[in-house]
Amino acid sequence: GHGGKEVKGWKRFQSYKGEGGLPREAETLRIWVDRKNQTVILPINGFAVPFHINTIKNAVKNDEGDYTQLRIIFQTPGQLAGKKEDTPFEDPEATFIRSASYRSTDGHRFDTLCSQINDLKKEVNKREQQKKEMAD
Amino acid sequence: MTTATQFEGIYHGLSTDVGKMRFAPAGLGWMSTSNPENKLTIPAGDIKSSQWLRVARNYQLRLFLNAKKDEDDEGRRMTFDGFAREDHEKIIGLMKQHYDVGVETKEISVKGWNWGTTDFEGRDLTFLVSNKTLFEVPLTTVSNSNIAGKTEVSLEFATVTAQTPEEKKKAKFVDELLELRFYVPGTVVKEVNSDDSDK
Repeated sequence: GHGGKEVKGWKRFQSYKGEGGLPREAETLRIWVDRKNQTVILPINGFAVPFHINTIKNAVKNDEGDYTQLRIIFQTPGQLAGKKEDTPFEDPEATFIRSASYRSTDGHRFDTLCSQINDLKKEVNKREQQKKEMAD
Repeated sequence: MTTATQFEGIYHGLSTDVGKMRFAPAGLGWMSTSNPENKLTIPAGDIKSSQWLRVARNYQLRLFLNAKKDEDDEGRRMTFDGFAREDHEKIIGLMKQHYDVGVETKEISVKGWNWGTTDFEGRDLTFLVSNKTLFEVPLTTVSNSNIAGKTEVSLEFATVTAQTPEEKKKAKFVDELLELRFYVPGTVVKEVNSDDSDK
């Protein structure tokens, strides 16, 4: 039917229209923040896996010896934090990816990635807030 | 005159070693460009089936090979990344002509969503978004799995910690996946349904 547009305030979003939209940088098999498309691309077993910033809650960095860990935490139902209407929540029966953790010996790079992800999230949140204020 | 067709810029598996791949009536061959010692051949008769899908390094040709006597029923699988989108028709033709094998095209999700369904296909855990593959992880790479609470499942991946300075230098250029956590709201319901005797 026509109910696919919005489910309980959930706005449909999409990183790319097709495979051709994936940026070249994904070829390096490393994490890439595609600001233009508001998407973070994670390498998983050779796949370039895009996650729209709307699905991401935040990123956390941790130093452990020679390695730095980066954990990307996603929006999922059943979390305490975050307003319900902000949760991408189309299918309540679905399985959600809750987090993905990576490590690298390049701490500086993971530092930058962590900031890039959190900054993009802040930016999008701010824009959403402004939109809401305009609408009120 | 040669009946072999060659493709450049092809990776075998997840290695960063780039090479060339040849399709000949007798079989397939891959050889690293930088290290000719690193090569392999697959006899035509070993190829059982194949798939074509978009991965990080452009397009992947995935081969399923007949199991050898000492192997389990699943047989072997080999992946070759780096094909161009335009190679698709050519690959279909070559696979049919030389090995009488079809090429199944797998659809990949680029929507950017983090919810979907999980499925087990052979030795892989597949995560599907709107019935399209988001990613697959071979269960052989999973070192540990935990169920935290009733709705969270984690998969930990086997890693090798760099020891020598050379390994540490190499590790700088790899983003190594450690763990994936899933929120599985359905599990509680299933457990309740399948265990009526406790009520």
